Order: sequence, then structure tokens, then C-alpha cells
Amino acid sequence: MSEGHGAARESSLGEWPRSTLPLSLLNAAQNKPMLVELKNGETFNGHLVNCDNFMNITLREVYQTNAEGDRFWKVKECYIRGSTIKYLRVPDTLLDAVKEEQNRAREAGRSARGAHVSGAGNRGRGMPQRGRGAVRGGPMRGGRGRGRGM
Amino acid sequence: MDSLIPFTTSGSLVDCVDRKMLVVLRDGRKLQGVLRSYDQFANLVLEDTVERIYYGDVFAETWKGLFLIRGENVVLLGEVDLDKEDDVPLQQVAWEELVPIHREEIAAKKKREETKAKVLFEQKGFCKEGGEGDGY
Repeated sequence: MSEGHGAARESSLGEWPRSTLPLSLLNAAQNKPMLVELKNGETFNGHLVNCDNFMNITLREVYQTNAEGDRFWKVKECYIRGSTIKYLRVPDTLLDAVKEEQNRAREAGRSARGAHVSGAGNRGRGMPQRGRGAVRGGPMRGGRGRGRGM
Repeated sequence: MDSLIPFTTSGSLVDCVDRKMLVVLRDGRKLQGVLRSYDQFANLVLEDTVERIYYGDVFAETWKGLFLIRGENVVLLGEVDLDKEDDVPLQQVAWEELVPIHREEIAAKKKREETKAKVLFEQKGFCKEGGEGDGY
């Protein structure tokens, strides 16, 4: 789906791309398996239990590996401070799942209001009417909120 | 129009979304994948990612999939020119073949740096360097 791309290019100053923000993706990864590598090289393989906007996370059924990759630990549950993380590897299917979920939510919102708008041309313009423009807009988000309630 | 976009993370990266990008991390790892999203911290979502290692004029790559990279760890993010990437005079070899060589190279480099730091500290009156990541 080229949706994210097109919207990102059309949009003007200081707006994030339409596609799933990194932390939204993390949120959507709850209960999914993932691999977390810390800055020190240790890795944690487990299922995501919970996360917050600092990228702090809790994992369950964890296999911990040291930086050299030669020692392993099995941990029932663990908490990882977000600031120590280098990267997370999540299932390939997650992006599609999140996009589908977003589309469903959008459609549901539309039909609930009774104003059925079709076509891509209207995307975004109609949003402010919802009156919740800045659901997760940071300080950089301009007034022309194109916020897509999630 | 371009000049109207301020030099911020968001301003610089909008044009990179859905493009094949090269990401270099602070630990020296090089990842290539399609940038799908980012935020104000330059946290990145990279799809269809491969990791590449280089040695001399050969390289090897391995599939890694979907990445969420914490922005702090990014040293460099650059677009890959799809028209030119096949013209690069590098030969691809098997990952398993190159990994041990690459690992050796890293170890050798680390040792070199340690020796250098030791000399600088003991003989030249320099202070001790910090830990990982000072190379950048």
C-alpha cells in the first residue's frame, strides 16, 4: 500500500508520516514475539507483555544471551528500561496487521458518523472535524492537525 | 518549497519514507531496508531489512526482517540509489563464509585501539578514553 508514502510527501512542515509511528508499532506488538538487543550487545528473546512511550518494556518467557552470544539464560519475566535498547526485531507481518487495523478503525469511525466519504482525495481533510486533532501530536505538530485518531 | 521545510528530523526524513535506506549503527553494524516510519527521536521502522558486512572488496548479507531502531543508536541514514547499487564493484559471498573473517577484523581493530589508547595514556599524558561508542 503506497498510502503512507503519498500522504507523507503531500503533507507539509513538521508532520510525521502517516504510516505507523515506531512507538505505535511497538504498542501493536503486544503479546507478539520479539528480539531486543541492548546497547551493550545483550539480547532478549521473548513475548512483549507491555510497553510505554519511553520504550520501557516488559517481556515474558525470555531467553537472554550475553553480548558474545555464548551464554544463555532463561528468564520468566523481565523489565527493560527503554534508554538501554539498541533495537527491536518484530514479526514481519506486524506492519500489515497494524495498517489493516488502522483502516478498520477509520472505516468504523466514518460509518459511525454517518458521513460516508469515499476516495483518497478526502483523506486527512475531514479529520479535524472529529475534534481530536492532536491525539499524539508532539509540540512540533502545527495547528493544521491531521491527527488520525487511533 | 523544499527550502521552506525546516531542518528537523521530520523535515529531513519525510522524503526518505518508503525508500531503500542504509543505516549505520553506533556499534558499526550496517543495515539496509525500506524506511517505513520514524518519529522526532529518529526512531526508525525498517522493513525487509538485511544486514551487510564488508571485507576488502567482498560483502555478504543476511536477512533480518522488520526492525524498530532506537534513534540514539543511529550514526548515519542514507538513501540507496537503486540505479547504481548494482554497479558497485563488490562481489557478494556467502554470509557464513565472511562472518568469521569479519569477526576477526573487529577483534583486531579493537586490539589496535586498545594498544593505541594505552600508549597515549601511559607515555603521552592523554586521559583515558570512555567506553563503547567513542569512535563516532
